[in-house]
Amino acid sequence: MKKTLTCLVVAGLLASGSSWAGEIRIGATMRMISENGQKYGQMMQDEFDAINARGGINGNTVELILLNDECKSDKGVANANKFAYQDNVHLIIGSTCSSVSLPIVDVTAQAEVPQIIPHSTNDQITKKDSAWVFRVPISARYYKGVVAKYLHDKVGDQVAYVYASDAAAMSETQGIIQQMRDVYGVEPVYEAQTQEKEIDFRSHLLKIKDLEPDAIYFGGLQEPIARFLVQSYEVGIPASVVRAASSAASNAPVPKLAGDAVQGVFFSAAYSDSDTRPIAQLFNSYVRNRYGIGGVDHDFSQAYDLIRIVEIALGNADLSLEDDDLAADRTAIRDAIANVQGYEGLASGPISFCADSTPQCRDGNRTPVLIQYIEGGEDFKVGILDRVTMPIEFGL
Amino acid sequence: MQNFISGIAGFFTRLKSIHPLLPWGIALVVLLPLPQFTVNNYQVYLINFICIMIILATGLNIVKGFAGQVTVGHVALYAIGAYTSAVLSTKFGMPFYVNLPVSILAAMIAGVLVGIPSFRLEGAYLALATLAFAQAVEVYIRVTNYLGAASGIGGIKAPEFFGYSLRKYDDYFYLVMPIMLAAVYASFAILRSATGRAFMAVREDPISAASMGINVRRYKLIAFVMSAFYAGLAGSLYAHMLPGYVHPNNFTVIEMVTVLLMVVLGGIGNIWGGVIGAIIVTIVADITREYYFYQLLLFGAVIVGTVLFMPKGIGGIIDRYFVNRRFIAAREETAEVKRGIVGGSPDESSG
Repeated sequence: MKKTLTCLVVAGLLASGSSWAGEIRIGATMRMISENGQKYGQMMQDEFDAINARGGINGNTVELILLNDECKSDKGVANANKFAYQDNVHLIIGSTCSSVSLPIVDVTAQAEVPQIIPHSTNDQITKKDSAWVFRVPISARYYKGVVAKYLHDKVGDQVAYVYASDAAAMSETQGIIQQMRDVYGVEPVYEAQTQEKEIDFRSHLLKIKDLEPDAIYFGGLQEPIARFLVQSYEVGIPASVVRAASSAASNAPVPKLAGDAVQGVFFSAAYSDSDTRPIAQLFNSYVRNRYGIGGVDHDFSQAYDLIRIVEIALGNADLSLEDDDLAADRTAIRDAIANVQGYEGLASGPISFCADSTPQCRDGNRTPVLIQYIEGGEDFKVGILDRVTMPIEFGL
Repeated sequence: MQNFISGIAGFFTRLKSIHPLLPWGIALVVLLPLPQFTVNNYQVYLINFICIMIILATGLNIVKGFAGQVTVGHVALYAIGAYTSAVLSTKFGMPFYVNLPVSILAAMIAGVLVGIPSFRLEGAYLALATLAFAQAVEVYIRVTNYLGAASGIGGIKAPEFFGYSLRKYDDYFYLVMPIMLAAVYASFAILRSATGRAFMAVREDPISAASMGINVRRYKLIAFVMSAFYAGLAGSLYAHMLPGYVHPNNFTVIEMVTVLLMVVLGGIGNIWGGVIGAIIVTIVADITREYYFYQLLLFGAVIVGTVLFMPKGIGGIIDRYFVNRRFIAAREETAEVKRGIVGGSPDESSG
């Protein structure tokens, strides 16, 4: 019994502090509490498995450690600490939620581990002056500019805003309101914040109906967006009132849950399912077949682009992968990501990074695409309204 | 193994007889080099988090275990402590040594608010009232821009003493661990005091307690305020630990269930049980990190299983072990005395 216990303790200690030369360790912390969230994680795992099956990167295999942070900052911070100090990873990917990515930036900065963000849009993430953080998705500062301009130029200034209590939705919606106020001198006709898990928005919608706005904008996660759209028709707001939503409207469950209510809704995102480029068509059919997804949203494309960028950077980095050189390898990977310039994958625009720890260098993609739903349901259809590359300084 | 445990217990009893604080001083000295024995910094982070959870669970034990008040609003007091520190640090630039007492004070004031319903409510009704309080606090934080709303508050400064910042986890350990020991010691002191006995009287039978001259309302309120002291302390320590970030998602019902599990598993009303519960639950939560869906199921099952089959928790089992040991020892002693009387020499027996 004593021998068994000793063996277990020794094995545990070895496992906790172990690291293997010739292996690139990557830790990913993501929100995997929804069906799609799990599929984003699964896709990352599958892509790295495929890289390993092709012989790895410069002959080195990639080990992905995938953890769920449930969109909770304390769990995300614990995951990041585990990756940085216990698993001794070379790179951290994460997180999905802005409220988790924000504190992780401080952990990775202190531990000096490069961090690359797959989905979070909150503009504060890259304003923390960390030399170790990179963002693949479009920052909220770009999204708000594009949506505000489209509303003002093409729709009208009488806009009602409702937004849920999640960091990304608040950041996007309040940014648009601020943009409309500062640039066009327009105040919202209605503004309200809802609870994160609130599902009945009819009290807001009835008030909005009486105000007869040109447009209604909803900021939130995918399920609340779908419910909001359905309920907007239930209370009798006519189809002539334009519906707009935050970038989470790109996620596949929105048209699936909202059905016909999603028709005409526009949003800005980093990728459109209706993209006609061959690479996009190939990617769409791959994701549909492999993960059983009707329409492919930008969280899939961003996760995919992130892996390709990581693959490029790891390929260019001079890594020894010896335990003693962990800090040097981490720095080399950081510098290699900073050297990624003009990457053109699935994203709406090229993704470029640079060495400075400023948002200009670390917000990789600045080309939001304005997308409109043409049909809802499982096999939804979308069309591209516009594609705008924002000035690099925009929103700073 | 049994001899080893008994030996340790006997050793601490002897130390306590020399000076009540001596075992705690030795515990402090023994724990001080702990970060040097950890394999990596993550384990130090986990130990710091365990210390914070011990403080939180010990506080919950005072109101729930000692005074028998069913509260599920403890996590809201923890949030108030954390957010008070966050606001003072980020909006007013106040240092840790100011933030800590103010956060504790804020939590204690909130503790009065939570305690007042206990004058009229009991059991499930009190649980509902405190749950409503917890939800209200979470919702209020989530919709208040000044409190960071859904984005949370980041950039909370690490404690600084004489120009030295405790930003690293192993430095922070030397702050959080002694505070944790002091908090647990204080909890024992409360339990042994007249106040502690009054708490237990209120818990066992409020009417009998009142008939004995105990002001039931007063002691219920004191229990809530003392418990809030611990929650505010834990909240402030949590807020100032790297990365110095608080978010409403960290203070939900799930967190409350987790703290409750620590106390229930350890043994309601048993201080060491609460400490052991906090250690076990935090470690198990960390080990099962990859199995999120099953984790809550596991926690729920453990609560139900503990209540059904181990109502006094781990602390109860340990207590029973020591009681049994004492009983066996007393029985053997009595038997020896009897043998001495019966089998003694004629001279002795004749007197």
